Amino acid sequence: MTDLVEVARHDRDPTAGPDRAGRPPSSCRVTGRQVALRRGAGALIVLLPLTWALQRALPQGGDIVNRGGVPLIGDLLGKAWSPRLDGEFLEVVVDAAVTTLAFAALGTAGALVIGLLGGLVLSDVAWARRPPWPVRTVRTGLRGALVAIRSIHELVWALLLVSVLGLDPLVAVLAIALPFGAQTAQVFGDTFDALPTRALRALRDAGAPAAPAVAFALLPPAGPLMLSYAFYRFECAVRSTVLLGAVGVGGLGQELVVSLSSRNWDEVWTLVAAVIVLSAVVDAWSGRLRTDMAVASCSEWSAGDAGGAAGTGGRRPGSRWARWSAIAAAPGLVVAWFASGVSLSGLTSERTRMLAGRLLDDLVPPALPRGGAGEVTAAVLDTLAMAVLAMAIAVLITLVVSPWAVAVRRGTGPPGGLAMRSLRWISWLVARIVLLVLRSVPPTVWAVIALLALFPGVLPGALALGVYTGGVLGRLVAESWESVSPAPREALVRTGVPGAVATVAAVVPASAQQLVTFTLYRFEICVRETAVVGIVGAAGLGRLLAENLNFFRFPVVMTLLIASFAVSVASEVASRRLRRAIRA
Amino acid sequence: MNEHVVRLEGAGRSFGASTALTGVDLTIRAGERVAVLGASGAGKSTLLALLNGSLQPSEGSVELFGAATAGLPARTRRGLQRRVGTVSQGLDLIEQVRVLHNVNAGRLAEWGTPRALASLVWPHPDERALGALEAVGLGWAVHERTERLSGGERQRVAIARLLIQRPDLVLADEPVASLDPTRAAEVLGLLGRATDSRGTLVVTLHQPQLARDHCTRAIGLREGRLVFDTPIADLASHLLDELYARA
Ligand SMILES: Nc1ncnc2c1ncn2[C@@H]1O[C@H](COP(=O)(O)OP(=O)(O)O)[C@@H](O)[C@H]1O
Ligand SMILES: [Mg+2]
Repeated sequence: MTDLVEVARHDRDPTAGPDRAGRPPSSCRVTGRQVALRRGAGALIVLLPLTWALQRALPQGGDIVNRGGVPLIGDLLGKAWSPRLDGEFLEVVVDAAVTTLAFAALGTAGALVIGLLGGLVLSDVAWARRPPWPVRTVRTGLRGALVAIRSIHELVWALLLVSVLGLDPLVAVLAIALPFGAQTAQVFGDTFDALPTRALRALRDAGAPAAPAVAFALLPPAGPLMLSYAFYRFECAVRSTVLLGAVGVGGLGQELVVSLSSRNWDEVWTLVAAVIVLSAVVDAWSGRLRTDMAVASCSEWSAGDAGGAAGTGGRRPGSRWARWSAIAAAPGLVVAWFASGVSLSGLTSERTRMLAGRLLDDLVPPALPRGGAGEVTAAVLDTLAMAVLAMAIAVLITLVVSPWAVAVRRGTGPPGGLAMRSLRWISWLVARIVLLVLRSVPPTVWAVIALLALFPGVLPGALALGVYTGGVLGRLVAESWESVSPAPREALVRTGVPGAVATVAAVVPASAQQLVTFTLYRFEICVRETAVVGIVGAAGLGRLLAENLNFFRFPVVMTLLIASFAVSVASEVASRRLRRAIRA
Repeated sequence: MNEHVVRLEGAGRSFGASTALTGVDLTIRAGERVAVLGASGAGKSTLLALLNGSLQPSEGSVELFGAATAGLPARTRRGLQRRVGTVSQGLDLIEQVRVLHNVNAGRLAEWGTPRALASLVWPHPDERALGALEAVGLGWAVHERTERLSGGERQRVAIARLLIQRPDLVLADEPVASLDPTRAAEVLGLLGRATDSRGTLVVTLHQPQLARDHCTRAIGLREGRLVFDTPIADLASHLLDELYARA
């Protein structure tokens, strides 16, 4: 048989060379060595931090497992089949669930108001031409302030607010509204900038005043996107509100912490079930809204790509589901207001004004903790080690669970009979439930459980955060894997390649890229969330922060906030750079 | 030279109630270059899918290299499929890997599982892979990421993959649909050279002139039926008019 390659090479058309193809400038050529180097660098970037973090988490000689605590885990597990279900307690649970929902709804509403105003200031559309310099200065300042606000975790916000407002329901609402609002402003600003501006120009040219013109020209095209983002935020807010329970502001989270610390395991299980059901319902609702409006998947939102989707059009104008959700929002908020017992009077009270003044006075100048700069450095390193290990655990969970959590494509699916199909379907359901449970149980609870059996330190924190992040990452990655095209694999199978080899060759590269992108993105968030497990006593900046807040050492708190901010910005920059480098 | 590469007898394919292709009788011998002409939706892609086994016929029979494709044991079917190379409309490249991997994809079947898996981790750019890439003018792109290439370049990667597979039957679905005339002639020239001597080519096209320049035989499909089958010299304009006339 003729070697077609040889044939093709020998009478190769001299005009078909690279010169004809208009390519390539030598600068963009990649050599085999460069590819090998990149791989080596990639391996180092994974392995070095991981070994370092492991070393930090497993101190030589010291005990890790708290033998006294292990039986407690047994007790906890033993009660799994007999949760407390009497009427009296169920009433408490329902009450707490309503409170949680109300806090989340009010916090989201506040975040949307902040986001809408902030987004308008940040985006260029509202200005007919290049905005005047005072606006630009304010804008730069605002951008910085928003970054700072959202770099502080909602739980830390709650801690700070508690020291001014006391255990007021307003703490929960503000702790959600502030960081979420900063994030929302960023997303809305990008969204507005991605919109086609012709309609707005036309209105302005026709002499319409700025505010109505913006309302008429921007809200209809951006509306569906903003609505689905609002519900996505609500979904996140429910989870965060549960977390806030750790500082004692009410709702399911607080009940959980109370039951955990008084070791009423039967109550813990009931509450965990309630948390899971609540997040599942809210997830399903907001997920349905997103698919109905075909705006963006959860993974697109999370990766911050959704702003770009705004200008592309081709969206359905809003389903009945979306419309009812929007209509229900207003009365829902009124109900939430009364159910939560929030009142604004706390904001203006004499006591608040005094405490806030003292807090602001005390924050500057910042001071070092008792242990000096060394203590801060150690806390920063612990925080980073915890985040790295947590991500490693999350990736492991994702690798094990997510392949099963990918929805079976209609029409294709595995060959084989009904039995195979139902088995695949059941494994899908189990995998999704596992991921749901992992991410619905708040990391504070995972941390308290881990701290039963392990001595405080990096390891229990990393475990708790890793398990929780595994649930989040696993779901994001599974959703993104659903969009990996099956065509390249099918093409390989069609040329006689065995199915398993075809999967490794064609599906794994695409899937791996998604996994790496989301892992890097989640790492940013994970660094910030170490505060959560720190506050319940694991390690890192969060723990130091909680300790110093307890003793009202505000200057030290300020130092720690600055350190957290620096760590979070640094990890964000690093993760962005790596993500960009991967695409090259 | 007279062996049947493809034989269809009353072959057709329906999707639920709609019939994409029906009652096609067609024999293609080794070395033939067949242009498949027809309007969009006429059933051209469906015909190619029957030929490479990605679809099973819902009526009639399809024989490849003298063996019926229906009900073959997996191993035999894979053996047959290895001899068929396809450039589909979507190209089906693996976007996230280096070009070299996509070229090697053409011989994964030939290599067998262990070597195929090893090549995914460490692909040796050997003579044959480099030769195939150079043949399509992409010698410089061995280590580029596939998704960073332009549309035309990616198409030539798909052809290099075909060259390295050394198939006895090449199926190309609208390989020049999105190319300018010069590029189109180039690509068809490459496909023609890929099928020199005993190789057989079946290519769907929209430009009769390209068919005249590069093929030996033309068949016309209209609404899922074979309406003509003629040596390329006899491809007259009234045949084409009938093909594209509105129903
Ligand atoms: N997988 C499929 N499911 C349903 N209908 C299909 C499918 N593939 C093709 N068809 C239908 O069969 C007809 C022929 O399609 P196709 O072979 O792709 O035409 P062509 O390639 O000539 O444009 C079209 O009407 C198309 O809608
Ligand atoms: Mg087609």
